[in-house]
This record gives sequence, C-alpha cells and structure tokens, in this order.
Amino acid sequence: MSPSVPSWAGVAASLTLVAFAAMVAWRQRLRLTREITLAALRAGVQLAAVGAILLLVFTHTGLAGAAGWLAVMVLIAGQVAARRASGLRHALPIATTAIAAGTATTMGTLLALGVIATQGRVVIPVGGMVVAGAMQATALVLVRLREEARTGRPAIEARLCLGLSASAAFAPHLRTTLRTALIPAIDSTKTVGLISLPGAMTGLILAGVAPLTAIRYQIVVMYMLLAAAALAALTAARLTERALFDDAHRLHPPTAEIQHAHP
Amino acid sequence: MVTGFVRVEAYAEMLTNGAEVFGLEQVTVRRGGAVLLEAVTCQIPTGACTALVGRSGAGKSTLLRLLNRLEEPTAGTVRFHGQPLPEIDVLALRSRVGLVAQQPVLLTETVRADLQAGCPELDDDAAAGLLDRVGLPEAMLSRSTAGLSGGEAQRICLARALAVEPEVLLLDEPTSALDPHSAKAIETIISELSTAGLSVVVVSHDAAQARRIAAQVLVLHAGRLVAAGPADQIDYLNQIDSHRERT
Repeated sequence: MSPSVPSWAGVAASLTLVAFAAMVAWRQRLRLTREITLAALRAGVQLAAVGAILLLVFTHTGLAGAAGWLAVMVLIAGQVAARRASGLRHALPIATTAIAAGTATTMGTLLALGVIATQGRVVIPVGGMVVAGAMQATALVLVRLREEARTGRPAIEARLCLGLSASAAFAPHLRTTLRTALIPAIDSTKTVGLISLPGAMTGLILAGVAPLTAIRYQIVVMYMLLAAAALAALTAARLTERALFDDAHRLHPPTAEIQHAHP
Repeated sequence: MVTGFVRVEAYAEMLTNGAEVFGLEQVTVRRGGAVLLEAVTCQIPTGACTALVGRSGAGKSTLLRLLNRLEEPTAGTVRFHGQPLPEIDVLALRSRVGLVAQQPVLLTETVRADLQAGCPELDDDAAAGLLDRVGLPEAMLSRSTAGLSGGEAQRICLARALAVEPEVLLLDEPTSALDPHSAKAIETIISELSTAGLSVVVVSHDAAQARRIAAQVLVLHAGRLVAAGPADQIDYLNQIDSHRERT
C-alpha cells in the first residue's frame, strides 16, 4: 500500500475532525450536532459497503459485473434527473434513456479504442464519472425544457400557427436549452487545472502516480465528460421535444403538477 | 349565410352546405372535468368576417383554436371546405388558416426577420407590401422588435400571418390589449381584409365591435352556441343576455 493512503487507524483519527465540527455546531447552538454526526457515520458506512461490493465485483465478476454496476448507476441517475423535472411527461424513461445513451456511447468508444482497460477497477470509476456528467446535463435539459414549454408557449404556438412543424417551432428553445446545459461541462473543461485539481488527477497523485502521468488520465476524463454531457443532453432534448408535442404538432397542455407549481 | 338573427335551434335548421369555409357539427370539447364547448353546430362563411361573441369563459377562443387544430374536439366534426380536419395535413392546414393571438408575440429581433418567420423567402418588397397592408411604413423593416408599442406589435403579428398568404385569418381578441386608437386601426385593417375577400374569424367580447367589423355573429354562452345572425341585428344579443339573467 502506498504510504500516502491513510490506514484504518488514520481514518479513525480523522473522526476528531468530525468531533470538532460537531462541537462548533453545539457551541453555536446550530442544532446540527446530531445531523453532522449521523452524516459522518452514514458516509463511513456507505463507503465501506461500496468498497466491499467493489472488491467482490473486481475479484469475481469481471467486465460483466462492471457493466451491471454501471447499469444500476444509470437507473439511479435517471431517477435523480427525472425527479428534478416533475410534471414533465415521461420524464423517467427520457432521463434514463438519455443518460444510458451518453454513457454507453462514451464508454463504448473509450473501450473500443483501447483508451481505458477492460477491467472492473477501471470501468466502474470511469463509468461513474461519465454517468454523473450525463446526469447533470440531462437534469438541466429536462428542467429547462419544461420551463421553456411553459413560458414560451405563446411564441411556440405563434410559430405553429405559421405552419411550422413542432421541431421547427421548438428549435430556438431547444438551442437555448442545449447551450445552457452544456455550459458546466464546457467551463470545467476550459478551466481544468487552473481553478481546481480535478478528481481523477488528484486521486492518482495521492496514490503516488507522477503528475505528468496523472494528467493523461485527466485529459481523457475531461474529453469523455464533454462527450457524455453533449450526447445525453441532445438525447434528452430530442426525447423531451417528442413528449411535449402530439402528432398534430400541438404543444400538450401543461400538466396539473406544473400548473400547481406555477399558478 | 343566415339572413336574420335567430335562436340557435332555428339557426341549425337553416344551415346548408355550400359556401362555408368551416363547418362544425355537434362539436364538444372537454378538458379535465370541464366542458369548454358543448354540441356546437355552425358554419363560417367564405370571404366574410365572422365574429365569435360571448363573455369570458364562453368558449370563444376554444372554438377559434379548433379551426387550425390547436385544439382537438372530444366529439363531433370540424370540416374545412367540407373535408374533416384530421384528413388534412395539419401543417398545410395551418399555412392556409393563420391565427393571431390576443397578446402580440414577436419571435425575432427585427421586424424583417419576424415577417420572415413563417416565410423565409419573403423579400424586402413583399415585406414592405405587408407593412403597407397593416398601415406601417417600409422604414420599420429594419427596426428592432424590442421597442415596438402594443399596437405596432399587433400589426406586425397580423402582417406576419398574412406573409404566409392564408385564405382564412383567425383573430383572438386582437384589440383587447390595445389603446382605443390602436384598436380602431386594427378594426379598420380587419374590415379591409374581409372586404378584399379574406375569410376572417374574430373573437370579441365587445358586441359593438362585432357590429362594426363582422358580417355574421355567433353568440356563445357557457360553451354553447346560443344565437347566430347578421351583425347589424346584434342588438338581439341584449335579449339573449336578459334571457340568461332571468333563467
């Protein structure tokens, strides 16, 4: 084991930091002492469980197990992104499909080109980053398109009334949304290394890998996150557009849930 | 067209197939638990202005939106030149049946681009001709849409709808958001368009306005067609109103 990785004793020692945070909360009467303690314990238990399962997957199930793990991550990410867009028709299947499309294409390309190794210990963490990036972009697209359909209804209907198709009438709204949804991925690509040392690179450096080697991984990570976000956002946008309009190129009336949220 | 103002029962017996651009037959629209239109049967004549009159919530806008399939009837049939609407390509239908909404919505940054929204090949001469039809100078073509008054914006919306060269123009309370001067200007444009042979259907809650601009009036009340007839006999509406209030 690399000396830079804390031992279990070191992990236990770091609990003093939790105690410190809890004490501050108690002294300041923030009523957060219990929550801080529980959060810290929960993080420990969750990560220990994940570590144990990952150990099993790495040693016994191979690439199939890694793929299964990724599939579960995609399903969970789909739920998280869809929950943000409550009131949008078919939000769950749209979000799940978009995240799956972004993840599958990106990971498939990386594996097919031999950029990353076909081992569980590589596919799972890299895939996790891809799923998270795709989830963020998908959630932004769903929320933004729902709002565009609500606030932009008069403009969309004005275009429909000129004989434009649903996709032509919705195109300006779709473009604005995609630009917004891709800003986080583009900005973090632009500023990587300047504002913060990104996760993959930090992890490798902590594990003792030479910085010039670590950045190679990080470059690949940034490129794949950009691709995953773009693919997921585009898929989510196209599917949402189809869900917003009917066959007669009509914008569906807002659901009761959206009307209730914006009376 | 019906020659005298009649109650709807008598009107239904007088309808004949012929020169109507739209025919509605027992059209009902329900949304959620609400009935927006109920068993409406009527005709919209070709080449004239028809006003849909009634109070708020009477179903006027719903009826208007049925005509270019922004709404779908729950029951009944809407025909365009005798053909049921679902049998017509919806995009082709909307190119032939333009609709201008109550609140003017401008879609682009300049007046020129806005007029081209439904007709990208529209050149400057044609665009200037459209502006002239709605009483605006050619110099407005390069104006930004941001600083337009409500009346100017509504005229641009009218011109934009006319750019597609529709044979029917649907107008949803086109003057309700305007000052009296702009409203009068829009009324004049509507009258000129229908005199020139365009079929116009205009929603209004103002009986006096209907008398000024329309040839035929259809009166809606709580989702039902309650009377129909020539606009110059619209005083009959008062009887309808007092009848409703008594019952």
